[in-house]
Amino acid sequence: MSATLNTTPARRLPVPPRRRTVGWLVTTAAVLAVVVGLHVVAVRETEFSLPELVTGWHGIWSFLFGDPKTAGALPPDLSWKIVGPALGACAVTFSMGLLGTTLSIPFALFLALLGSRTTSKNVVVYQLARALMSFLRSVPSLVWGLIYVTAVGLGPFPGVLAIITHNTGVMGKLWSEAMEETDRGPLEALRSAGASPAQTAAHAVLPSVTPQFTSLFLYRVDVNVRDALTLGVIGAGGIGFYITQAIQEFQFNVMMTYVLMVTVMVIALDLLSAWLRGRIMQ
Amino acid sequence: MTSLTTSPALSVRGLTKRFGDRVVLEGFDLDVRAGEVVSVLGANGSGKSTMLRCLSGLTKFDGGSVTVAGREMRSGERVPEFAMVFQKIHLVPQLSALENVCAGALGRLSFWQAWAPRAFPADVREEAMGCLDRVGLAERAHDRARRLSGGQQQRVAVARALCQRAGVLLADEPVSSLDPAAAEQVMRLLRSLADDGMAVAAVLHQPELARRHSDRVVGLTGGRITLNIPPSALTDADVDALYAPDYAAEGGLT
Repeated sequence: MSATLNTTPARRLPVPPRRRTVGWLVTTAAVLAVVVGLHVVAVRETEFSLPELVTGWHGIWSFLFGDPKTAGALPPDLSWKIVGPALGACAVTFSMGLLGTTLSIPFALFLALLGSRTTSKNVVVYQLARALMSFLRSVPSLVWGLIYVTAVGLGPFPGVLAIITHNTGVMGKLWSEAMEETDRGPLEALRSAGASPAQTAAHAVLPSVTPQFTSLFLYRVDVNVRDALTLGVIGAGGIGFYITQAIQEFQFNVMMTYVLMVTVMVIALDLLSAWLRGRIMQ
Repeated sequence: MTSLTTSPALSVRGLTKRFGDRVVLEGFDLDVRAGEVVSVLGANGSGKSTMLRCLSGLTKFDGGSVTVAGREMRSGERVPEFAMVFQKIHLVPQLSALENVCAGALGRLSFWQAWAPRAFPADVREEAMGCLDRVGLAERAHDRARRLSGGQQQRVAVARALCQRAGVLLADEPVSSLDPAAAEQVMRLLRSLADDGMAVAAVLHQPELARRHSDRVVGLTGGRITLNIPPSALTDADVDALYAPDYAAEGGLT
């Protein structure tokens, strides 16, 4: 004997209409108008022009495939006398990014603790720390680099200093936000057990955010190695400097080799950093 | 210990708490003796959790007096005699069970005596091991808290309260997020701690657990005590009356 299952569908009911007011329509229209308007201004201000790009195609052609006077970017010059030294330059660029990120840890941690609502109760200190972090990160590392060059001259060293300075602002902000997003429960539990604010920071907040901190650090190493590349272009050495030189000497096939090597390095670093971050956040 | 059993370990008189115009607690009285488990029942918004938060110093109260171990506490003061256990457990998931338990001792340590979870002094770590053993989890000392089951995590949280050397355990819905078996085990643990001489006040949402594990049941309605009876006297009608505001608030099926 088998009981009959009741499979009759539920009675159908009309879906009540969603209420959309006139105010909603006006707001949507206004937002759309502003967004479109901003883009129109942006196109004008940047002299954005597709026709100009099309008529200038032969410039790109001779850059890529050469003209009677110079060799083009393709095929790249993969001879060892080019690749060998460039490997060393890649190592310099990578070192700049890594060292700049690592050495900014104490400063970023200090500012993050003072500039996070979870750990900083004093409004003045909190606002000051946030303002300082905003300043450090709103000045691009290129500008910091030029400032440090006046003190220590050209080379990778001012590049590292520039990355430390800029990254302190960025990583400090990211870390302070990670602390603000963390579950406040353990903090409250320790507070009720009589722990001081410094103790709750050391025993509840920081241990809770260690995975996020590490993940953001790895992400910043990745970004800062690319930053070190552009710093090299303005004279901080490394593979970025090699690329500038090759362009200035119209050795586009050599430049293409460097660009390929940089691409491989950046992708490898990106994959490694993403893989490590995935493992940490599990 | 004998003197504690005669006079209440915790004595609350006329506790009052307002949030703006809203009165959350009004003239709340409660006595909990050492060796006693008192369950507090009441609908959502009846003031149960606020009451515990006032006692533990996490929230300031507006009137009344709280006396613990013979000393009156000020509003918002954190008294080491009180230890809290939370519904959401609130362990640091990345730290080991032992490190979480050690944190209970922070109130009596200076910052530099334990500047990081790995840096607790040996005597605190050994005491914490004793607390973990008391809740039956000594062999899980080095496991990360997030690797433990919900019930085990709550027992670690109880061990943290023991490491605080508190005489009064305040439990805010300690078993609401646990499965029945784990809930049963945690309630038995609280019962046995009381038998060892602790005073336990637990906010519960399960009248059955209150009946079986407590010495007295206190009912809260709208911030006032409406019930203060031995668990055997708790009837289904009492429970329905206490939770009537919740039935009204849920709406829908009646």
